[in-house]
Amino acid sequence: MSSLAYDRQGTWRGWDRFDYVLTLAALALVGLGLALIYSGSIRSYTGPVASFSNPVAKQVIFAFVGIVAMLLVSKLDYHYLTHYSWVFYVMGLVSLVAILAVGDAAGGSTRWFNLGPIQVQPSEFAKLATILTLARFFSEHGGDAKDLRTLLISLLIVAPMMGLVFIEPDLGTSLVFAAIWLGVVVVAGVSRSHLLIMGALFVALLPFIWTFAIADYQVERVSVLVDSQQDPLGASYNVNQSKIAVGSGQITGKGLTHGQQTQLRYLKVPTKDFIFSVLGEELGFVGAMFLFGLFILLLMRGIRAAQIAGDTAGQLVAVGIVMLILMQTFINVAVNLSIFPVTGIPLPFVSQGGSSLVSLFIALGILQSVVMRHRAYRQT
Amino acid sequence: MSILEEGYRSPGGSSRNRPHGNLNVLRASVLIVFAILTVRLVYMQIINGAEYARRSRENHIVEKNILPTRGLILDRNGQPLVQNVGVYTATLVPELLPKDQASRYKIYLRLEELTGASALDIQSKVKRAEENDQAYIEVQVQKYLTKEQALRLDEASVDMPGVSLSVTPGRTYPMGNEFSSLLGYIGAQTPEEAKNLGPKGYQLNEPVGKDGIEARYEDDLRGEVGFTANEQDAQGNLINALQTKDPVPGNSLKLAIDADLQKYVAELLQDSLDGTNGSYGPASVAAAVVMNPKTGEVYSMVSIPSYDNNIFAQPDARANELSALYHDNRHPFLNQALTSAAPGSTFKIVTATAGLETGNVTPNTTRCVNSKVLEIKGETGQIFDFLDWREQGCIDLRHGIAYSSNIYMYMTAGGIAQEGIPGLGGYDLEKSGVILANWARKYGFGAPTGIDLFNEAAGRVPDPGWKRRNYADPPYTETDRQWYLSDVYFTAIGQQDVLATPMQIARMTAAVANGGKLVTPHVVDEVIGPDGKTVRTIKTALKDVGVSAANIQVVKEGMHLSVTDSAGAGIRAYTPGIDIAGKTGTAEFYLPDGTKSQHAWFTGFAPYNDPDVVVTVYFDIGVGGDKAAPVASKIFKYFMANVKTK
Repeated sequence: MSSLAYDRQGTWRGWDRFDYVLTLAALALVGLGLALIYSGSIRSYTGPVASFSNPVAKQVIFAFVGIVAMLLVSKLDYHYLTHYSWVFYVMGLVSLVAILAVGDAAGGSTRWFNLGPIQVQPSEFAKLATILTLARFFSEHGGDAKDLRTLLISLLIVAPMMGLVFIEPDLGTSLVFAAIWLGVVVVAGVSRSHLLIMGALFVALLPFIWTFAIADYQVERVSVLVDSQQDPLGASYNVNQSKIAVGSGQITGKGLTHGQQTQLRYLKVPTKDFIFSVLGEELGFVGAMFLFGLFILLLMRGIRAAQIAGDTAGQLVAVGIVMLILMQTFINVAVNLSIFPVTGIPLPFVSQGGSSLVSLFIALGILQSVVMRHRAYRQT
Repeated sequence: MSILEEGYRSPGGSSRNRPHGNLNVLRASVLIVFAILTVRLVYMQIINGAEYARRSRENHIVEKNILPTRGLILDRNGQPLVQNVGVYTATLVPELLPKDQASRYKIYLRLEELTGASALDIQSKVKRAEENDQAYIEVQVQKYLTKEQALRLDEASVDMPGVSLSVTPGRTYPMGNEFSSLLGYIGAQTPEEAKNLGPKGYQLNEPVGKDGIEARYEDDLRGEVGFTANEQDAQGNLINALQTKDPVPGNSLKLAIDADLQKYVAELLQDSLDGTNGSYGPASVAAAVVMNPKTGEVYSMVSIPSYDNNIFAQPDARANELSALYHDNRHPFLNQALTSAAPGSTFKIVTATAGLETGNVTPNTTRCVNSKVLEIKGETGQIFDFLDWREQGCIDLRHGIAYSSNIYMYMTAGGIAQEGIPGLGGYDLEKSGVILANWARKYGFGAPTGIDLFNEAAGRVPDPGWKRRNYADPPYTETDRQWYLSDVYFTAIGQQDVLATPMQIARMTAAVANGGKLVTPHVVDEVIGPDGKTVRTIKTALKDVGVSAANIQVVKEGMHLSVTDSAGAGIRAYTPGIDIAGKTGTAEFYLPDGTKSQHAWFTGFAPYNDPDVVVTVYFDIGVGGDKAAPVASKIFKYFMANVKTK
């Protein structure tokens, strides 16, 4: 009956509620990213401009794939996704285990599957799966995290993902998982005392994690932050060069394609993890504020989606996605500003990289799905 | 379809609950996160932005220095005495070496084969640099490569990342050992030198003058360092040449020295070491100064023994030679022309001048020296013997000089109280000593001559004050500190405590020759810019000795007689066709082992009427009239025949 009703109401049902501001903010970020990728790659990319191997062209293609995926997903009822979230969850878990066995290593950690020309990063998928699973779990438990048992089970949902990512090792992504969980449980109404106790436990365990669980290269990166002069050509190289790049941009920047740090290749991975340094150097403080403005707009629209969500599941999915984008942005920019150890987290929508971009657009699609369906549920 | 439907309709109850979460926490955290990042950005880009901008510039702009060409040194006829050459050093930058140890070691072994530096040494140098966080700084693998080694290394370095051949300016000295003490040499800066030279803009790899003219005229010879500023990318590829300042070559020096004369004199002295030497054995040290008595131009300054200053361009390969030189007790690195010894009877010129100027003697004061021994009765009744070298008969002052009579000079300076003959200060011995010492100082003794070379000895002029100071502390007693008649006597004949350098003796001689003016000797005549124009000329500074023309004429006549009178002490300097005046000196001294020996001196000028040249010759062992005078004669002869004075 309702499926017929759905059909009757037409393919365009809900599009009037589609959040164009959210989408435009994301597209503006992608556009800014394209400019920065162009600037960051002109010295290293020497192939023809109109070629699929051109990093800018590649990113444009991925953006289109992402936008199409977003539109498709936004058409889909997010309850369909939460319903099968356990399936996604298991798939995510399996792929994370698989990558430890067969994945390609980069910079001391194993994060990708190499599928011919495309590299797939399963942790991107796992993050969405975890958000959906958490949302479903809390929606089925009255959307209430006050109960300690519920809280601990939710932690058990995140922990395997976090752990697997952590041993890749990918410290940054495991922190993103932690942030997603924290955001979801706070909105789901976790008891403050529970949160404090768990925080205290974590702090107490930190020394053991430091000693036994964190890889040497992470220790090195952390200690480099503390004293970036100790090894100017080793681990702290990136930290020093990105600091110089960002700082030397000053207020208005050196102009796109005119940053020496970027153009003379003192910056490593200037189109990916250190793309914010390119922005800092070439577009300066003004450019950075513009970027922050777009992110704040995007995230506030995401929070709006959570606000108007028709049910707990929708709200928590939106919260998870907001936390995902917020935490990735924070870690990436913080690394570029040398207030966080170097860890390979791309800047959402801006950094070059297909997996990240497509999965982020899918996440936006889920947000749109929540927004587009909020009245239907409130009305019934 | 049912799956979709189920998903869509999703189980009733709880999921339909109105969401109740507080989203303001989330809004707040978004704002807090971006606030933190913004604060950090303000700090980096606005507060410290200028500093980072500076570091960014330094990051990619690489300045390299270009060392200037060192100025040349030419003799007075334009003959080059030095050659500029490259000093080849094998260097490597640890940071640019391959990362794996096996290929590194392969490079070390290849370097060992090419340069002779041990592979293990290279390895430990690299390790040290890396431990000190200085892997980006060039490490010297082996210095002073031969040209063949350098060429082979240059070719091979293509396959050895990080290894390169560095070329720094160096010198060779083609003219031989005769010029070493004069020219000196250049070499790498010592750490202490580097500390002083750094603020003057010296690069660490820049050589500096170490001795002789190379050291004294360093500022002229060095030139100005140039540089290139290049924009480089992170791999060290040249992006842009930003700025270049060409180095300015150093100024060249035209010396007063005549290279051929220098060679001639050096060979002559070397050949004469063994010659006539009385009973004291062969000489081992000798020196000679040939200079213009009016302008102070030094035509030749020879020091024997000498050394090969090219050794310092290959200190490793020639380490044995270098060590032998350092251990040679004749001190080959000392410039003997600027090193002091007892001047002996050449000092009688001072005594005669003092006697004339104080009026203690007149040119016609006659003393009869009928014995070789002057007996003086001491206060305790003890007899002290003061010797002359022969029975001189009755002689006036001119002959006192010409015959080099000790006793005449004793009487002139110290007098003989018992016989009613006053000294320079009457019967006050201390006063006599002071007056004599003052005249010595007026002739330039006891202070460096101011020649344009470093490490010049001041010599010593003893007087009562000096004696009190010198013997002030135990084990010396009051007896040692007293000023005796013997002190006046021995000073009057240039022995015991008097010390003078051959350069000082030559300068005194010049003063007699030019009528009483003390010149400042100089080995460099002209500083010439890279464009060939004269930058400045070195002029002598003249100082009046303060002796009357009449009295100086008497001394001159005495010196003339010394060479021309058949009984003159300097007769062996007599040279037909050249009118020479001179003074011999034979200074007794005690060798370190306590045995008595004597230095041989001759100093003179010619032509007698209008002197053009002063020649001073010194041998550490020998009799002045026998050993030094004939050598001086040959130098005069050569000089008159071959040297163009202007």
